[in-house]
Amino acid sequence: MSQWTPHVEDVLGTVDRGLWRRIARHAKRYKKYAVAMMLCGVVLAIVESLMPLMSGLLIDAAIEKHVGRITWYSTVYVLLSIGFCVLVWCFIIAAGRLATGMAHDLRQASFTRLQQLEFSYFDQQPAGWIVSRLTSDCRKVSSLMPWFLLDLCWGATFLLFTSIAMLSIDWVLGLSVMVVVPFLVIITVFFERKLLRSSRLMRKTNSELTAVYNEGITGVRTTKSLTRECENIDEFQGVSRAMHDYSMLNAIQTSIFVPIVTSIGGVGVGIALAVGGVQIEDGYGLTIGMLIAFMQYAVLFAMPVRELAARLSDLKGAQAAAERIEGLLKREPGIRDSQQVLARIQAAAEVGSSSRAIDGGASRIETIEFKNVSFWYKPEEPVLRDFDLSIASGETIALVGPTGGGKTTIASLLCRFYEPCEGGVYLNDVEYRDRSLHWLQSSLGIVLQQPHLFSGSIAKNIAYSCPGASHEQIEAAARTVEAHDFIMQMPDGYESEVGEGGNRLSVGQRQLISLARAIIADPQVFVMDEATSSVDTETEHHIQRGIEAVLANRIAVVIAHRLSTVRSADRILVIEQGRIVEQGSHQELLEANGAYMGLYKRHFAGPS
Amino acid sequence: MMLRERRMYSAAIAAMVVSSLFLYLAPLIPQVIIDGVLLPSDDGPTRFEDFLLSLMGGVDFLQANLWWPAVLILILSAIAGLFAYFRGVYAAKATERIVRRMRDDLYRRLQRVPLHFIDRSETGDLIQRCTSDVDTVRIFLSAQVVEMGRAVAMLLVPLPIMLMVSPLMTLASVVLLPFIVLFAVFYFKRIRATFLKVDEAEADLTSKIQENVTGIRVVRAFAQQQQESEGFDHRNGRHRDLDNNLYRVLAWFWSTSDLMCMAQKLIVLGIGLALLFTGRLEPGALFFFLTAVGMFVWPIRQMGRILAELGKAQVALGRIQYVLGQPEETDGEDGLVLDAASLTGSIVFREVTFSHEEASPVLEEVSFEIPGGSTIALVGPSGCGKSTIINLLMRFYEPDKGKIHLDGIDLSSIDRMSLRSNLSVVLQEPFLYSRSLKDNLAMGRSDADEREIMEAASVASIHDSIMGFDDGYSTVVGERGMTLSGGQRQRMSIARALLRDPAILVLDDALSAVDTNTERAILSALKQRHHRHTTIIVAHRLTTVMQADEILVLDQGRIIDRGTHDELLQRTGLYRRLWDIQHEGMDAISGVHGEAGA
Repeated sequence: MSQWTPHVEDVLGTVDRGLWRRIARHAKRYKKYAVAMMLCGVVLAIVESLMPLMSGLLIDAAIEKHVGRITWYSTVYVLLSIGFCVLVWCFIIAAGRLATGMAHDLRQASFTRLQQLEFSYFDQQPAGWIVSRLTSDCRKVSSLMPWFLLDLCWGATFLLFTSIAMLSIDWVLGLSVMVVVPFLVIITVFFERKLLRSSRLMRKTNSELTAVYNEGITGVRTTKSLTRECENIDEFQGVSRAMHDYSMLNAIQTSIFVPIVTSIGGVGVGIALAVGGVQIEDGYGLTIGMLIAFMQYAVLFAMPVRELAARLSDLKGAQAAAERIEGLLKREPGIRDSQQVLARIQAAAEVGSSSRAIDGGASRIETIEFKNVSFWYKPEEPVLRDFDLSIASGETIALVGPTGGGKTTIASLLCRFYEPCEGGVYLNDVEYRDRSLHWLQSSLGIVLQQPHLFSGSIAKNIAYSCPGASHEQIEAAARTVEAHDFIMQMPDGYESEVGEGGNRLSVGQRQLISLARAIIADPQVFVMDEATSSVDTETEHHIQRGIEAVLANRIAVVIAHRLSTVRSADRILVIEQGRIVEQGSHQELLEANGAYMGLYKRHFAGPS
Repeated sequence: MMLRERRMYSAAIAAMVVSSLFLYLAPLIPQVIIDGVLLPSDDGPTRFEDFLLSLMGGVDFLQANLWWPAVLILILSAIAGLFAYFRGVYAAKATERIVRRMRDDLYRRLQRVPLHFIDRSETGDLIQRCTSDVDTVRIFLSAQVVEMGRAVAMLLVPLPIMLMVSPLMTLASVVLLPFIVLFAVFYFKRIRATFLKVDEAEADLTSKIQENVTGIRVVRAFAQQQQESEGFDHRNGRHRDLDNNLYRVLAWFWSTSDLMCMAQKLIVLGIGLALLFTGRLEPGALFFFLTAVGMFVWPIRQMGRILAELGKAQVALGRIQYVLGQPEETDGEDGLVLDAASLTGSIVFREVTFSHEEASPVLEEVSFEIPGGSTIALVGPSGCGKSTIINLLMRFYEPDKGKIHLDGIDLSSIDRMSLRSNLSVVLQEPFLYSRSLKDNLAMGRSDADEREIMEAASVASIHDSIMGFDDGYSTVVGERGMTLSGGQRQRMSIARALLRDPAILVLDDALSAVDTNTERAILSALKQRHHRHTTIIVAHRLTTVMQADEILVLDQGRIIDRGTHDELLQRTGLYRRLWDIQHEGMDAISGVHGEAGA
């Protein structure tokens, strides 16, 4: 059984103050609650540091049987107690406002940014990773903030006032009790670091544990096919053993740390008793009440030291989360409207003409033209090179060719999911970067190969792009793609839930729904990437005519592996290695007996 | 809980009692020093004080050597600390052992339950049972049980001493405790709904984010960013308000219960002062009572909260037990182990009927024979029962009626593991483990060397794609690595299946996302391995299956036709219709037809 070892970066680093200041800027709106928090901390510390003094004074007064002072001090003591409770109420309320408000604003800023970021960001990061930025990271950072502010002010003030109180009662005794402070600080810092490290190890191992469970459940069919149950169990036990070991490490550290701090408190009490006791015996003027107050202070002294150290390690622990959030927020969207376009949108909004697009340009797309377009992820491996293509009004274009030839890239460039690295895409002779992104994308009907549905009813999914659609419209769209029959066979018809990501439907059914979803939007241009790859042959055959009717008089770009799907296109382009190697109608290309013919033959002949 | 853990818990409890005893002894020393040495009362020390004083060496000795009680305090706190350490370690040991076993059992059970249990369950729910429910139990065992024990020990241990010192003061010290506990219990029971609402709002928010991120392409494709943001803002705001409300409710709880605890201390102080004033209590004793109340009042308050939340652990435990109570896939002791070397791979289905619970049958009296080493294809519309045949063959499901034989042996008498290790299935949506490509390929055969791995990858036409990645075969894929396209995943999974070199190879619509060229290359490579494998191909695209020795055409759970490609084309059945649809327009150019057929 192999033990799983997580990689934990050096955690002994310092607190990055600049980072936290930048994060705190997102809580500017809640400044007053932050200030309230800090005020509460200061006042609370004063109240708490006065309490032992008051009880000492009370005891002295009682020993002297001085009724007036007893009444006076008990009144102050009661008031302090009530004040304490009121402060507790205040700071929890303020903490709530600050923490929830800050989490809200950070999430909102992050979500808005996600809506603007280009696809390459989503290609690089797994979805789960992105989601945790907005959920656990935001929660971690914002729920720590109020308590950090509170304890910072509380701890500093408490230390200060306790020291002042002790030194002013009796500076010799005060200094003797304070001898323990350096030890307290050293030990606390030492253990907080250890604890921070072990708890980080625990967290990492815990998320690994979740991931392994997830893999064990989602991959169960494959695991059983490969008869890997025993190996999987062995590997899992490696992780669960690591989890056990790190949890034990953390528990042992805590079990050593807390008693040591308590014992140091005991040392303080001892010193107070020994030194103070001698003074009382010698008649130095120290009273019994003050000695009792001193002994209480000696115990309390450890509290702010521990709290401060704990909050600092919280801050260090959450630093990685803060960095990740900042990384997301400061990432500039690569594809967005230029300043000029934004200005034009503004201007058009003031004029308010309904016949023009939102940026004041023509709202109809008559022609689309790719001019000298090159595109690459890595400069040394271009996907498209000097690609030219012009699509006339109402034309249906089919793209065929081997995997990796660049078909999907062409579609993505057309949708401006990516932008050309060189050259340009022209809509009615205007480069599309001079047009509004929103206008372009809402003019397109895009059906993707991976048909993603949103949880909710089938009707809601079909009407995704126009929530106001009537039931008749929804049904008409479903009928066009032959989805009506299977929808009606489901228990709740159009109101049936599709499940998370559409997982209650088959891939083919999902593709039909996503096709209907595009049709109901009545877009100017259709872009379909393998839109019916998982639909069975007969159904695909049946919907062919419906789709042809929808595509008539619109520009359409269709990608397909199945040649039967593309045969009816006005023009077929054979794309290989980022270039058009052949184009023409089905008939023309067959007669040309070239690359298309080759594809077609293989398709027809199958393996030979 | 096993005997060893029970012993550990007993040790933890014993250590806890000892530790709290010493914790209380420590403040007792200043008390007797103050009352007996520093400020001797007129009536002389009580018997208890006298006893303690003489234990420490007598009043005279102490008057001269005040460092001695100071050292004693230190020793007592150190002993208390030592036992607190034992308590912590033993409690953690017992808990972590139990929890680790629970996790291992859960995982093992999930690996061994029949497939239909997993198919019926939601992944997220199962994971929650294995993670957060286990955590709830863990916190209950490690923190809450110990906390409660501590609260009780902290209260009970000083009770005799307190009673000895002053019964009246003892009563004064505990008078509010029942109210403090009851207040916490009732308050937390009442606000459970508030907690639940926040949890729900958070789950709602999370699933909105999740959906937006996973569906971001659709969002952009329909330019719905605005609507998405509105939906998100609504949930985000709702979560903030509910969360904020929770803070408000908690503010009332903590301040009120603080007030009660303070009041408890004030009662002690007030009555103590009155007694002190009338000379019935000494200052040191008052100090002791104040310290004691300060030590037990907070754990007692905590106890109230824990009592209110006991139900949670119970619910979590029930949810865990539900998974652990699922029956495993059982093989009889006498499950037959197949001899891979001599296996011919002939398969016989005899009048096999299968239906999912109560629904209409998915397969009805299906019979066919596959001679060893031949290739058979299953075609038909979605939902016709193709995949069910594969599931039955893998013994993921058992037939309701009829028999399946492999090499003449009844499938149900073969050991499942042995059966599956002689079968390789490539699924339409294959699963890759979150590790390197090389590890993924070698998953089914850990002894495969580099050359064999690359060879299998080449046959499956994935070698070139792999070499195109920055890290080549070491590229990590899956949820925690790079995302591969559907076609790449299918080819990976074909390579993985080939590497196992099984007696029976099943391609369950495994080439749907692979383009025609690549499919052709893979199929011809497979053909070279012909007669080494019995091959079952499930596909929509008929060109994929036309080379099969026999093609079974299924519709609505029945075999409606069978034969070779040519035979089936002769008849006017479903196969012919599908073929025509897929090759419509072909006859337009007769010359092409002839050339292609040649």
